[in-house]
Amino acid sequence: MAVSAPQQNVVGDAVASLAYEALEISKSFGGAKALDGVSVDFRPGEIHTLVGENGAGKSTLLRVMSGIYERDGGELRLGGESLERLTPREAQHRGIYLVPQEPTLMPHLSALENLFVGIIPRGRLPFTVDWKRMRESAGDYFAQLGLAIDPRQRAETLSIAQQQQLECARALVHNCSVIFFDEPTSPLTAHEAEMLFALMRRLRERNFTLGFISHRLDEVLELSDRITVLRDARVVATMDAADASRELLVNEMVGHQVTIQRRHARAAQSDDVALSVQQLQREGEFHNISFEVHRGEVLGLAGLVGSGRTEIAETIFGLRHAEAGRITLEGHQLVRHSPRSCIDRGLIYLSEDRGRNGIFADVQLPENVSSAIVPRLPRLRGLLNRRVEQRLAGEAMERTQVRALRRDVPIRSLSGGNQQKALFARWLLAEPKVAIFDEPTRGVDVGAKADIYALIDGLARDGVAIIVISSELEELTWICDRVIAVYEGHVTGELSGEQITVAALGRLIVEEGGA
Amino acid sequence: MTTAPSPSPLLSARPAGVGQRSARRTLSRLLAMRELQLVLVTVVIFAITTAHASTFISAGNISFLLADAMAVAVIAVGQTIVVLTRGIDLSVAPILGTAALAVGFLAQNHNLTPLEGLPLALAIGAAMGLGNGFMVALAGIPPIIATLGSLAIYSGVQAIVAHSQEVVTLPPAYFNLGNGDAINGIPYLALIGAGVAIAFALILWRTRFGRSIYAVGNNAEAARRAGINVSRVTVSSYVLCGALAGLGGLIFLAHVGSADSTTGTDSNIQLTAIAATLIGGTTLTGGKGGVIGSFLAAIFLEVALAALVEFRLNPIWEPAGVGVMILLAVLADPTTGRPSLRSALRMLLQSQRART
Ligand SMILES: Nc1ncnc2c1ncn2[C@@H]1O[C@H](COP(=O)(O)OP(=O)(O)OP(=O)(O)O)[C@@H](O)[C@H]1O
Ligand SMILES: [Mg+2]
Repeated sequence: MAVSAPQQNVVGDAVASLAYEALEISKSFGGAKALDGVSVDFRPGEIHTLVGENGAGKSTLLRVMSGIYERDGGELRLGGESLERLTPREAQHRGIYLVPQEPTLMPHLSALENLFVGIIPRGRLPFTVDWKRMRESAGDYFAQLGLAIDPRQRAETLSIAQQQQLECARALVHNCSVIFFDEPTSPLTAHEAEMLFALMRRLRERNFTLGFISHRLDEVLELSDRITVLRDARVVATMDAADASRELLVNEMVGHQVTIQRRHARAAQSDDVALSVQQLQREGEFHNISFEVHRGEVLGLAGLVGSGRTEIAETIFGLRHAEAGRITLEGHQLVRHSPRSCIDRGLIYLSEDRGRNGIFADVQLPENVSSAIVPRLPRLRGLLNRRVEQRLAGEAMERTQVRALRRDVPIRSLSGGNQQKALFARWLLAEPKVAIFDEPTRGVDVGAKADIYALIDGLARDGVAIIVISSELEELTWICDRVIAVYEGHVTGELSGEQITVAALGRLIVEEGGA
Repeated sequence: MTTAPSPSPLLSARPAGVGQRSARRTLSRLLAMRELQLVLVTVVIFAITTAHASTFISAGNISFLLADAMAVAVIAVGQTIVVLTRGIDLSVAPILGTAALAVGFLAQNHNLTPLEGLPLALAIGAAMGLGNGFMVALAGIPPIIATLGSLAIYSGVQAIVAHSQEVVTLPPAYFNLGNGDAINGIPYLALIGAGVAIAFALILWRTRFGRSIYAVGNNAEAARRAGINVSRVTVSSYVLCGALAGLGGLIFLAHVGSADSTTGTDSNIQLTAIAATLIGGTTLTGGKGGVIGSFLAAIFLEVALAALVEFRLNPIWEPAGVGVMILLAVLADPTTGRPSLRSALRMLLQSQRART
């Protein structure tokens, strides 16, 4: 690893950045083509965005371009020079950096150490570390990204959004001039995403070569200079962002229009309270949280990253223990409950961080999907009936449109969005009465998003009470009957029906007592 | 394997699907299976050694080798369960020794039959395994430290049980069990060992407990969130590993016919069992692998070491031989496809990258 001085400030001089071109790149996994003659050129001073359905090959292309995967064919050209065998190390030497789709921080190291791994600045004496300099420049990057954490915090305690922000900060620290961002915004609220964009724009002004992936087409249109659409392992179009529109992109990506309609908020919900939370409290996380969800209702939880939404959900699901308060599920008070007892009573929780808290990476897809209902599977002479299991898992995966070339692969070989859909399938299979979905569409493409919204709507129609936590305010406006906003661990307001708009939500989540 | 569309953790790699896939790809997939690789390599070693010394392939020798491998094989099955949960058990040698001594003394002095000794051996092993399980799951001590500690403690227990005495004369039933053939070339012990391996393969593949083992080994936090009682699964894995080490003690006793205060630890049997586990395709990082591979690897190790003896290699090289085989096995990790130095290097680089 090269020991280079970290930049003191990102708003510095322009860098001598190089154009980076992929020419006719192909890459297969076990006979299935993930990239089939893909050509994309990334130019200095430009943000070039890749869009496409889940599994289209976006991440694979960036992994090839940053040396993580070896290409089967094609050429990589950096500033006109052909790169023969590109290893991750070689890529970094040449100033190419990939912010990965799933954060890969070292859990036991501090945020600060994670930030500087590989390029720890030396102190004045030999074998010492210049902690002061590290802390100062880290503080600088954190401020610019709006990352509100203590640099001494261990990485394992960071939320997925904070991990993602830290990964972005790391790209800057590494002093690279070609930076690829693979879905950096999927767990971020508009507020944090905006700070990242501001930074990316500053990098663009300084002539960096920037690549970006996102499924949020609005931000794609707003941020990009050029857009390339991938579909089934091929490039179907490259266009100037100025010529693009949401409709056009969706059409190129999916082949037809996807319209997401606002869910019909049903005024007459049943009065049956499915879940009630009273005065829930955990020191330093949330205070005095009270709300109810009715059968057939979709309740949204809105808030900034770190506002306590996930902590509340995890406490309801028995992953954390409340210091005070009461949780009642279908008239039955939960005490000393565990995820298992919750699942058995019909309360489920889809975690936001699929890599860390969701998938069993090396386990095959169907077993991943069935993992929460193994105790309910039928048995033959004491052995699980695999045929039934396969069928159930298969049906659930059809409902969530998991796209995999084969079912009998470890889940790690699926694209990020498809892993997410598989996890959604896992919890559908558990036949919930009360479902908490934390960022249910994180990393999911537009088409599949509409499908998941339809599934959530269907569940609600069947009488399931649903809580949705989402950083995408628009998502909440589409699917929720009622939304409560959380700011720094307090409920700051509630909206229902037609009141739920992005603007109203946006006001509630950034200021205390905004309503 | 039949035509079921999805494969099993019973075997460490996926069996080929049916139909359209070309024969060549089917073959290369099969060859990527660690179990098959082990069988092939063992057969090749057999062929080469037989060409050198023709008695190597006699029914008597095959029977001896199989019987001789079974104590390690059964322990490796238990070790695999623990390693699958991302743990390790370094204390199996004194568990084997203690069980062998306890059963041996009762057999020597009170004519305990092997069948009567079986529950005793299992119970001793399970109890010691429970101790390990508590330390790891409830006290939260890292497995390698916890079982390093219990390796020392249980060795002490073994010495106390031995009480400066040895087991030297056993009822003939033990000799028959430990060295007799069920059919020509297939000893009773091999049937027992194979039975254990197949039973545990089924447990891992087709029971709730087995599923939980893989889940916990892959991602303990995700397992907890999927409703799995992680501590219970962890404790159970150590209990099973201990019980199988106890069974290994009985097998050892019957096969060797003696036991003393250092039985098991003197031959570092825990390391051989761990070697068999790794060579069998189970990864130390947990969640991947299976017991059939470990069982076959134990036989492979036995045959390979016996072959070295046939070629008159100084036994001093034996441990080095085991070491080399572990390294080769890790290089030939089925996940990297073909065994090649290049893929190993690439893996190294990628992990380097993942760390930076
Ligand atoms: N390591 C791997 N092993 C096997 N197949 C893989 C591997 N990585 C990717 N694939 C396959 O390659 C295809 C493209 O995946 P990729 O991750 O590039 O999709 P993507 O466009 O990034 O999708 P998403 O929007 O869901 O992140 C998918 O079919 C995926 O299953
Ligand atoms: Mg991707």
